[in-house]
Amino acid sequence: MQNLKYYFNFKAVLIFIIAAFLLLFNVFPICYLIFRSFFNDSGFTLEAFKRIYTYSLNWTALRNTLITATLSMIFGVMIAFPLAWLVGRTDLYGKKFFRTLFVMTYMVPPYVGAMAWLRLLNPRVGTLNVFLKNLLSLPDNPFNIYTLGGLVWVLTTFYYPYAFITISRAMEKMDPSLEEASKISGASPLKTVLTVTFPIMLPSIVAAGLLVFISAASCYGIPSIIGAPGQIDTVTTRIIDYVYVGSAEGLTDATTLAVSLMLIANIVLYISTFICGKKQYITVSGKSTRPNIVELGKWRIPITILVSLFALIVVIIPFATVAITSFTKNLGKPLSLSNFTTRYWNILLTRKTIFDSAMNSLISASLAATFGIIISCVMAWLLTRTKARGRQIPDFLITLGSGTPSVVIALALIMTMSGRFGINIYNTLSIMIIAYMIKYLLMGMRTIVSAMNQIHPSLEEAALISGAKWQRSFRDVVLPLIAPSVVAGWFLIFMPSFYELTMSTLLYSTDTKTIGYELFTYQTYHSQQTASAIATGILVLVIVVNWILNKLTKGEFSI
Amino acid sequence: MSSITLKNITKFYGDVEVIKNFSQVIADHEFVTLLGPSGCGKTTLLRMIAGFEKPTTGEIMIDDVVVSDSENFIPPNERKIGMVFQSYAVWPHMNVFDNVAYPLKINHVKKSEIKERVETILDAVHLLPYINRMPNELSGGQQQRVALGRALVSNPKLLLLDEPLSNLDAKLRESMRYEIKEMQKKFGITVVYVTHDQTEAMTMSDRVIIFNKGVIQQIDTPINIYKNPANEFVRDFIGRINFINGTVNDGKIIFSDNQFITYSGNKSGDVLVAIRTDSDGYIVF
Ligand SMILES: Nc1ncnc2c1ncn2[C@@H]1O[C@H](COP(=O)(O)OP(=O)(O)OP(=O)(O)O)[C@@H](O)[C@H]1O
Ligand SMILES: [Mg+2]
Repeated sequence: MQNLKYYFNFKAVLIFIIAAFLLLFNVFPICYLIFRSFFNDSGFTLEAFKRIYTYSLNWTALRNTLITATLSMIFGVMIAFPLAWLVGRTDLYGKKFFRTLFVMTYMVPPYVGAMAWLRLLNPRVGTLNVFLKNLLSLPDNPFNIYTLGGLVWVLTTFYYPYAFITISRAMEKMDPSLEEASKISGASPLKTVLTVTFPIMLPSIVAAGLLVFISAASCYGIPSIIGAPGQIDTVTTRIIDYVYVGSAEGLTDATTLAVSLMLIANIVLYISTFICGKKQYITVSGKSTRPNIVELGKWRIPITILVSLFALIVVIIPFATVAITSFTKNLGKPLSLSNFTTRYWNILLTRKTIFDSAMNSLISASLAATFGIIISCVMAWLLTRTKARGRQIPDFLITLGSGTPSVVIALALIMTMSGRFGINIYNTLSIMIIAYMIKYLLMGMRTIVSAMNQIHPSLEEAALISGAKWQRSFRDVVLPLIAPSVVAGWFLIFMPSFYELTMSTLLYSTDTKTIGYELFTYQTYHSQQTASAIATGILVLVIVVNWILNKLTKGEFSI
Repeated sequence: MSSITLKNITKFYGDVEVIKNFSQVIADHEFVTLLGPSGCGKTTLLRMIAGFEKPTTGEIMIDDVVVSDSENFIPPNERKIGMVFQSYAVWPHMNVFDNVAYPLKINHVKKSEIKERVETILDAVHLLPYINRMPNELSGGQQQRVALGRALVSNPKLLLLDEPLSNLDAKLRESMRYEIKEMQKKFGITVVYVTHDQTEAMTMSDRVIIFNKGVIQQIDTPINIYKNPANEFVRDFIGRINFINGTVNDGKIIFSDNQFITYSGNKSGDVLVAIRTDSDGYIVF
């Protein structure tokens, strides 16, 4: 009994530590932010809101954010669900390749997409534009990237992987006999998808849509690269403009606008949890099943061609464009032998500032991922294997943190953690690590929770009854089964932290510049080619690391 | 040596009382079967004996040791029990050999001995040819036999079997029944067995516990349950039975009118054949 009591306290302590971390660095700063937007030195006032919203530019920005985020969410899910189903459940040709390709998109900075599409669909000289014009002998270039539509296009093609990962994970978890039962009852494959697969997937689909919405709404890189020339403002670009003004009033305006953004995010968060609650249909058992594969039959080749085309347009062409740009001397001309240069790669490999920034990003992202995955493992254990009281509190706080737009997290941290309340970590890597953790913890936690859910408790019980202590059962049964997910979860935190831009833009100091920030400044102010070289470097890194992990885990590593 | 004493066990899930004041002593070497409709609490009872669930109130003793009451609790890994789970719980990341060898590895048995014992047991459950297969390459029934092998391999004194043969064909089932019964006799194991199959319950058990909604309806030897059902529920549950006297002779049971049925069991001399009217199975006492 003595032992048992200690055990309970141990869980309570873990819950307390995780909750305290999030309360201190997420909830408290945000509360302060809200407080600041309603109170000035003389007391309660709506003056800041009035000032912000008498300025019509801000209304337009708010509208743009809502439109682009909503459309990206709808399109992203509409793309991700069929793709996840095709890749996870059918005999599509080259499934593994496609899966890797789509997941890899998650691992490159979204603003790289903006860089690529800028080159492809520039209204005057965009390569793809010119190509299409000549091909179809059109009077004019067909597309203009500097529009709201262009913004939605880039946001969608770079944020649908978030939905793809979330949905395909749930898809793999689903017991195949559920679909078989529907077919045996006489339902066609399509009917089965609509009446069984889709409803069972619905909670994950909603979660996926939410993720895309929040990411798109709080994205800074894409709207600032595409929006600036097209004079399309979004809430994030406005907020950062206000911060860069630097005055106290600017900061208040930024805060007030950030509160509006957060309000939108939270409304969406609540509506979606209200619609489908938190229910998750878990259909796992202690029985081992073979994955069941739907045969596409006569559709197999046409659908494979369709998916290949999609991959070509959305993944391969943009990535190739960025890679080519990094070797191009004069961006006005197509790449040829005389227009080829390795100068920008030399810059990338030799310039110390770039190297220092890369190191900063590497260190802070690794630490964020490592602490994050430890918290994720503890939380997954608490959530799936214990009934410890209050275990939902940190779970809720983690969801809240990831649902908070990046700008808001960063701004709130700046306002509270620069000495005003006795903690001063501004201008240090710590503040970045904390920000990354708050923002990306959820992806890691979800991965491990879902892996734990796939381990039927009877598998552990079988080890216990064989005489193994719980530590041993953990080592022999749980760990081998979740190890690939732990690695995957680590990367899901590491990669977005590594190339993070929005928060880093606000939190960096001269000594703590990050690679994302470096890339962004090169793209906007100095040289697109150097930026492209950095982006390609990240891309190569992602491919190599992916390949190594796949070899090491014998193909078990998957995100 | 392994007797189980259950004293005034109750179990609540939330407000639902799944087991109601259950008391029973299961003697050493005894083979007791739990029989009852789906959802009546059979698995729950086994899981409490194993130590995966704690009774809400009551006391469980294995031999003279209190393994579970309001103050003491011995975790499952220290109870030295073999168990087959209703869901098999075969580890998907270990092959057949590693699954079955696991309890021996935990108990630090020598490598060479492990190999020998695992092979013996796999032979008994007819899985020797599959020794290197992964679980997802096995059929449901094969996985179930892996689970059975794993439960038997360490020669536990107490064996809990939750529908261990539910997925096997009639022939394999008979052969597994035989193996389990042989093991039980040879090593003097105490067995608590859950099944939906009356033939299984009646032919293997020393005593049968008929169970409904967490309440014991009748505990008796198989033949007495057939002959004197304690109440309407039991009568209804076991179905209508006819008894016929006969004599075993040369692979046949011969009845008084010289009719006979073939018989491959191990009874001899005068026997009593129980025939259920709602099925074509029969049980020989
Ligand atoms: N973890 C749980 N939480 C709540 N109720 C439960 C839980 N486990 C079992 N029950 C309920 O307890 C009752 C007994 O369940 P149990 O699994 O013991 O039945 P069973 O006799 O083994 O049935 P079957 O023959 O179908 O396996 C059932 O009504 C079931 O719904
Ligand atoms: Mg059961």
